[in-house]
Amino acid sequence: MLKVKDLKKKFIKYEKNKQKSEFYADNGISFEADKGKIIGILGPNGAGKTTLLRMIAGILEPTSGTIEYDNLTFEKNEIEIKKMIAYLSGNTKIYNSISPYELLNMCAELYDVPKSKRETRIKEISEILNMKDFLYNKIENLSTGQTQRVNIARCLIHDPKYYILDEATSGLDILSSQIILDFIKTEKGKGKTILYSTHYMEEAENICDYCIMINKGVIIEEGTPEKIRKNTKTTNLRDAFFSLIGGTKNEE
Amino acid sequence: MKSNVINILKKELREMFRDKKSLAMMLIIPFMIPLLVIGMSALFEYQTNGIKATYNRIGFAYEATSIEEEIIKELGIFGVKGTEEELKSQFDEGKIDAYITKKENTYIINGDDSENTTVASRLIETYFNTYKEYLQSTYLENNDVNSEEILNIITLDKNIEMTENFFANYITVYAFLFIIMAITISATYPATDATAGEKERGTLETLLTFPIKSKDIIVGKFLSVTVSSIVTGLLSLILMIIALLVSENMFEIYEGVNLMLPITSLIFALLVIVVYSFLISGLCIAVASKSATFKSAQSALTPLTFISFFPGMIAFMIKIKTNVVLSFVPFLNFTMLFTDITNGNVEYINIIAMIISTFIIIAVVLNIIIRQYKSEKVLFSR
Repeated sequence: MLKVKDLKKKFIKYEKNKQKSEFYADNGISFEADKGKIIGILGPNGAGKTTLLRMIAGILEPTSGTIEYDNLTFEKNEIEIKKMIAYLSGNTKIYNSISPYELLNMCAELYDVPKSKRETRIKEISEILNMKDFLYNKIENLSTGQTQRVNIARCLIHDPKYYILDEATSGLDILSSQIILDFIKTEKGKGKTILYSTHYMEEAENICDYCIMINKGVIIEEGTPEKIRKNTKTTNLRDAFFSLIGGTKNEE
Repeated sequence: MKSNVINILKKELREMFRDKKSLAMMLIIPFMIPLLVIGMSALFEYQTNGIKATYNRIGFAYEATSIEEEIIKELGIFGVKGTEEELKSQFDEGKIDAYITKKENTYIINGDDSENTTVASRLIETYFNTYKEYLQSTYLENNDVNSEEILNIITLDKNIEMTENFFANYITVYAFLFIIMAITISATYPATDATAGEKERGTLETLLTFPIKSKDIIVGKFLSVTVSSIVTGLLSLILMIIALLVSENMFEIYEGVNLMLPITSLIFALLVIVVYSFLISGLCIAVASKSATFKSAQSALTPLTFISFFPGMIAFMIKIKTNVVLSFVPFLNFTMLFTDITNGNVEYINIIAMIISTFIIIAVVLNIIIRQYKSEKVLFSR
């Protein structure tokens, strides 16, 4: 189980007159994520979703608060935790000068996948994601959809328990987005825990078991999509969000 | 930990050897060294021979004897005859470099403090020494005295081993300075690419999600840049040796001089190159890591290129002697040791001081960067 408690991240902002000011990108976020659940982290751009997921993925250090994966913390068990998680964001780039095969091999090495199992694992994944045709081509020559499949393959190579997906479908066309959404559903079926951040409320409504709505670094509402709709007396998460922040749709 | 450093090193080397620009920086820059060595040798030779040929226009304000005419011809003097006034006027117009006037038995060299007169005066002195020797010898012979015995009453022989000369020393030290420059330039590109480049391409975030400690990432990247620098340094050293051997046979200024360094000197040179590669790679990684983009990293590294080269060059020019304290001073110590290697007087204590100082600097610099590698300022400064 993933437990996030009172997580805060302070940044220093430089004003035009070179004066420094502090602000909290995330200010006291707490939640828990169970096995086999998709947790949606929802909010507009700049709400603090990416910072939150970067802290949960161990890329950024929190200013305060705790993150526990199966009772392990980054302070003491950074490597063990990172072996349990896979992080994929809309901005995630992969090494262009190598082939998907080389990338997967490199990832397998870094995740300590036993040498004897690497070939079989790469073969399995390339079959699942239909990558056989371009497995040995340079990544720089692949289409966006193919690159996205390679990115997913990278996440699958060590069979992680937790997926942290930050705006993973952002900027992708409908076909490429569908590859990601299918992948999420399949992994959920295998009992994996998935943190899925998005600003597409409709997408979240369709796949998330539990939603956490964030605005300006704080949780403004959480619960199942049904519960949020009910609490806000709205028919969809988009309207629920606007009702919670007291704004209009045009502000999005 | 060890295997992760090796994994990062393998990844970086694979990228480096597949990137045409990195390869070009690593392998093409050393080829500048033969060009510079041969080019500078040609320049030295031109200057030396050029001086002899240019400043030989000498005026004679008296009638030279046939013997004097012969000496003038033999020394390659371009003699101009005329009265004192005519020659003075020609000198003022720059048509001659100096002129000689004669009052009874005294010959006077006329000119000013220009380079032309200074060089021409040396030629005139040689001319009169030869002429004087002839007159003395003739006088003695006419008085039935063995001129050989009198003129060579004592004999002076030279037992100076002609293994080095000014130009040889100069060109060898400069070739070593070029190697330092080549290593520095070639280290900047892979260091920038592995840090700021990775940040700019967006792959750093991916790398940070892998189960690797920041320390292993930095050390792996540092070692990959070091490998690249050592390759450049080694190739530069080989090309320098070839260029020196070619120059030795090509130019008169190196006549009688053996430009090939002894094997012990080459081993010392290799050691200095390897240690320098470690230092410059560490510094380049440290500077480039803090930059947000490839371009800003390159700008930040430009001063380092100058710092690596100029202190050493100045130390060589003003002939500062190596000592243990100066061997601790980064950059200066490498050039000074290269000068010692060229002169064949390396002291082990200075080498040890240089190694200790370099590795202390590397440890401090890498430690700072490793600590900062969790900071968003370094990671996501864009």
